[in-house]
Amino acid sequence: MLKRLIPLLLLLLLSCGAGASEPELLEPEKAFRFSARLLDASQVEVRYEIAPGYYMYRDKFKFVANSPSITVDASQLPPGKIKKDDYFGEMQTYRGEQRFVLPVKGLVAPAAGFTLKAESQGCADIGVCYPPLEQMAALVLASFTPAAAASGQTPFLPAAPGAGASSAQSEDALIAGLFKGGFWALIASFFGFGLLLAFTPCVFPMIPILSGILVPHGEHLTHARGFALSLAYVLGMALTYALAGVAAGLLGTMLSAALQNPWVLSAFAAVFVLLSLSMFGYYELQLPSALQSRLTVTSNKLHGGHFAGVFIMGVLSALIVGPCVAAPLAGALLYISQSGDMVLGGAALFTMALGMGVPLLVVGASAGTLLPKTGPWMETVKRFFGVLLLGVAIYLVSPLLPVMAHMLAWAVLLIVCAIYLHALDPLPPHAPGIRKLFKGVGVIALLAGAALLIGALSGGRDILQPLSGLRGAAAQEERAPAFQRVNSLAQLDDAIRAAAGKPVMLDFYADWCVSCKEMERYTFSDDAVRAKLAGMAALQADVTQNLDEHKALLKRFNLFGPPGIVFFDRQGKEINGLRVVGFQPAGKFAATLDLALR
Amino acid sequence: MTRVWQVLLAAGVAVAFAAAGALFYQWRTSDAPPDPAAAGRMVLAASLMGVDGKLQPFEQWRGKVLVVNFWATWCAPCREEIPGFIQFQERFRADGVQFVGVAIDQKERVAPYAKEMGINYPLVVGGLETMEFARQLGNQRSVLPFTLVIDRSGKVTSAQVGMLRPEKLESLLKPLL
Repeated sequence: MLKRLIPLLLLLLLSCGAGASEPELLEPEKAFRFSARLLDASQVEVRYEIAPGYYMYRDKFKFVANSPSITVDASQLPPGKIKKDDYFGEMQTYRGEQRFVLPVKGLVAPAAGFTLKAESQGCADIGVCYPPLEQMAALVLASFTPAAAASGQTPFLPAAPGAGASSAQSEDALIAGLFKGGFWALIASFFGFGLLLAFTPCVFPMIPILSGILVPHGEHLTHARGFALSLAYVLGMALTYALAGVAAGLLGTMLSAALQNPWVLSAFAAVFVLLSLSMFGYYELQLPSALQSRLTVTSNKLHGGHFAGVFIMGVLSALIVGPCVAAPLAGALLYISQSGDMVLGGAALFTMALGMGVPLLVVGASAGTLLPKTGPWMETVKRFFGVLLLGVAIYLVSPLLPVMAHMLAWAVLLIVCAIYLHALDPLPPHAPGIRKLFKGVGVIALLAGAALLIGALSGGRDILQPLSGLRGAAAQEERAPAFQRVNSLAQLDDAIRAAAGKPVMLDFYADWCVSCKEMERYTFSDDAVRAKLAGMAALQADVTQNLDEHKALLKRFNLFGPPGIVFFDRQGKEINGLRVVGFQPAGKFAATLDLALR
Repeated sequence: MTRVWQVLLAAGVAVAFAAAGALFYQWRTSDAPPDPAAAGRMVLAASLMGVDGKLQPFEQWRGKVLVVNFWATWCAPCREEIPGFIQFQERFRADGVQFVGVAIDQKERVAPYAKEMGINYPLVVGGLETMEFARQLGNQRSVLPFTLVIDRSGKVTSAQVGMLRPEKLESLLKPLL
């Protein structure tokens, strides 16, 4: 059964990709990716990454600054390749990656930068041309960059070239640029990105899942066996990441976004509830004995039965539990969608997922030595992971539930745990220290559960501040960022028009998007950020339902799914290179807003 | 041992769900081409400025087998197919075939080019907003050339992004004559 299941799943993922691999034209912004940065007060570096099979005309470039006193001289572009043209004679064209350093005149202090408008025109080899294209970039001198932005070497970008000086290139584009470097440098960078992602909420829910699988093996779980099992899990996860990533790059939408629907989430949550119940020892799930003995024989022969099950769990965990989009993932998807290079893009994603799996491997290896072999302790550990699995189940279905139900579920879990920890039973005299510790933990769980219960029933709707509802409505209202909802391209265009001269911020949000929630809680609520947002029109597109209009919105901005924040200048044009993909802390985000407000 | 098979059973159920989800997703994302009758109505309702400076309503060509070609002088592949269009216009004029060129260009560039090439069908000129119009008609990436064939009843029978080879154009026109 296993041997048949895995190829089936792979085939499924591959077939999703194959459907989209027939030649399709790229959107102009993708075919001719533009970015620019100021090298110093008198030079701007302009980059075009021209997708394979596309070319641009040398004499169609035009660069204009938003201030009439600043001029950008594009008369000295490097010679291109000669292309014979039956009407215009000889034309010069560019292909591949192009980097122009253009002289800038008239940029004097106190002006620290300007917005560059780049006009260009290009065609594809298959015999079509794109109409003249206008792209914009906000340019700032590195030395003038506000402190927060200059120090804003984002944690995801340890190896990105020029990350400190460039404020005119978004992280995903920078990371897509990494693919131009050597193979091993790329692999190493993505492994590093994965390690950093390992300590985010994208990976946390996987730890109880893996532990839940390992714990019942307690008696024969050696160091090596624990490691091997968790390796199977991590490989399943990594392979899925790579395949799903390649499919997303080619299809233009995340498969995991499609999987964030009530059916899949409920099914998976139900699996965890079942698993946790057997952890509590309520029953032993058994297959019919005939089937079981047959399978035992097979798996004994193959010696891989455990591993395949764990592997599949890894596959599903990657798809359903951790649909996090961070800059490295977005960058790799961008590269795949632009170049169609599935092998390199997939390899990068695979190593990234391996990096994410490192803590899981540590958990697995240590489980073999740390876990008690037998005895009553084993039961305690099992119950502990049973509770954690229930927590994962609640976490999974939380996007589907109203906040109140979500809070009540946590309250029930905490309070029932507390009772099992004897929080309300008196301690016998001379109780051992461990009993006291358990009672302490139980009392804390009881209090937390009670707070959630009271909070939920008194109208509190913030799971981290359950009692905030009791504080009065005024304080709460002030915290809520005043986003205007947009649900379609037409609504977006209307809203941008209505912004009338104000810069516009468009935030893509979904209930299942962990970093979107982090942004809401920690960044948008920050006083400095809210003050700056007041000078802009703040729009939000909630794409949780993944409707066609939502996909059209994402597609216009070459995004594969939330998170993603896009900025428009006062004329309603997107400011290139100012995108924010993934969580950004308040200080750094405020600096980004300054650039948009310029 | 049993634990693994429990996990496996559950995983099997979940895989089935995942497969169903993926198939559903594929089904939902398949692009439906725009309704041919509605697209035809959109074209026939349009009016664009002719090279001579006069407004040309497309309504005047209703009832003909209409070939609407979006092009520009700056688009090399577009120019490549124009001699073929000139020939076809000549050959099928008596059968009621009418070519119309929509140039995404400046009038001042189109007029001399038309003269030099001897374009024997009407040309109208539009700006970038006309590309948006073409996008609504099924030219998803807004590229040139883009050619629509509309039958005598006003239905779009073909929308081609990229060059239209003479053999293909002939096979598209023949059944409509």
